[in-house]
Amino acid sequence: MTTVFDRIWVRQVTALAILLGLWEAAGAAGMLNPLYAPSPSQIGAALVQLFSDGSIWPHVEATFAAAIGGLVLGVLVGVMLGAAAALVPLVAQLLEPVMMMLNAVPRVVLAPLCVIWFGIGLGSKVALSFVLVAVLIFFTVYTGIKQVDRRLVERVRTLGGSSWTVLREVYIPFVAAWIMGNLKVAVGFAFTGAVVGEFVGASRGLGYLLSFAQSTFNAALMLALVFLIMGFVLAIFAAAGRIERRLLRWR
Amino acid sequence: MLRARDVTLSYGGEPVLEGAGVELDAGQFVSLVGPSGSGKSSLLRAVMGLQDISAGTIETPGLARDEIGILFQDDALLPWRSAVDNVALGLRQRGASRAQAREEAEGWLERLKLAGLGGRYPRELSGGQRKRVALAQVLALRPRLLLMDEPFASLDAIVRARVTQDVVNLVESEGIGVLLVTHDLEEAIALSDKIYLLSNGPRARVSHEYPVPLPRPRALIAARTHPKFAPLYGRLWNDLSEAVEGPQPAREAA
Ligand SMILES: Nc1ncnc2c1ncn2[C@@H]1O[C@H](COP(=O)(O)OP(=O)(O)O)[C@@H](O)[C@H]1O
Ligand SMILES: [Mg+2]
Repeated sequence: MTTVFDRIWVRQVTALAILLGLWEAAGAAGMLNPLYAPSPSQIGAALVQLFSDGSIWPHVEATFAAAIGGLVLGVLVGVMLGAAAALVPLVAQLLEPVMMMLNAVPRVVLAPLCVIWFGIGLGSKVALSFVLVAVLIFFTVYTGIKQVDRRLVERVRTLGGSSWTVLREVYIPFVAAWIMGNLKVAVGFAFTGAVVGEFVGASRGLGYLLSFAQSTFNAALMLALVFLIMGFVLAIFAAAGRIERRLLRWR
Repeated sequence: MLRARDVTLSYGGEPVLEGAGVELDAGQFVSLVGPSGSGKSSLLRAVMGLQDISAGTIETPGLARDEIGILFQDDALLPWRSAVDNVALGLRQRGASRAQAREEAEGWLERLKLAGLGGRYPRELSGGQRKRVALAQVLALRPRLLLMDEPFASLDAIVRARVTQDVVNLVESEGIGVLLVTHDLEEAIALSDKIYLLSNGPRARVSHEYPVPLPRPRALIAARTHPKFAPLYGRLWNDLSEAVEGPQPAREAA
């Protein structure tokens, strides 16, 4: 017999509800210090307050602007550099060590540098987001182009295709699919860059609110912001997933 | 329409082929068999111009460059293009408009018994259907010489028999010359007018040439029971075994 409990999401939601219930009960029983571990209802109240007076929106806007700016620039530059490196050996020799080094540092340590170089405004957040995304996309495209099936290239050639046809019919769709496959990771990186950049030094943004909550020891606000950022990123993942499924129907 | 003479071909080291030659008249079906690694694929690629030769000549009198088509073992369809767009690709390169190319491509899919499947992506087709799309892709460009490198090797027996028969019917009715590389002796006899046997490599050359005395049009199943089939098969088998293992004590013909 099948019941609603056979649906995975029903079970997941139920498990989450039970967890939150236990958490709330533990708080109410005085087992958790509300200063460090506020109960779900307190976190919820903090969330409601953020939205009820509308004060959250400028911060959301700032974070999204930085993340999307970094994402778009990072994808553009990453694609160009990755393609150049894959096609021109000299470019690869010059770029690979730089990219390796950038890849080796935990890139969030660049956040303070970005603030020094680009100031406390939007620029430094876009820059951090950009570096995270561009390095990822560079390696995606660079390795992706080398994976292109030689047989497809030969096939298009023997059907009378020019170099331009090979590029349009084989390389671009193949590399686009590779990038799509990494889009979720890139979105995650873009938001990481934006929020960390704001955390280090900013006057607006969700990361700035986080650092404000930290400096005022407001754990409820901090957790509310964590959940909020999580929610936004998950929503974008879902959208990216839909786009991916639509564009990669042939898979 | 194809004359390859004294072809020598190497990939840097010792020549793979040395002094190999094949000839094919318009509309003829010719097979090339030989031990694996002897250079059959290399010769085919050289005829297509995908591979340089270091000595000898390959001439295709009366044939324009774009009247030669090639079909490889892997179907290598563009996975992100539907069947009809895969077939239309070559037609577009020849200057057909998008609508024209699609219409013509649909026609070829129909001739290859894929009517109604044009909208599918390669992954949504069976191995036999993909092979048919690849055939439509090549035949749509109306080649007068078709090169095929073990094109049916990956198909299971029944599908293979059907696709092969359809190909024979098409090339017979269109008068297309075919040079087929195969490791399947029965297939070579059933399909061909002439068979070349390549000796063991390196420095492989054409060691034997066999006319196939079977009537056309060819029905592949019937061809196998023709009285002249078995003796030819026996000769080919012996010669091929010798090429692979060196001369053997006399062995009973199959
Ligand atoms: N691109 C290549 N580079 C170097 N050697 C090759 C290449 N292609 C084929 N060969 C070698 O040439 C020989 C003939 O190969 P091939 O023409 O594929 O033989 P066949 O099709 O008869 O099996 C083999 O020894 C193979 O290893
Ligand atoms: Mg081969």
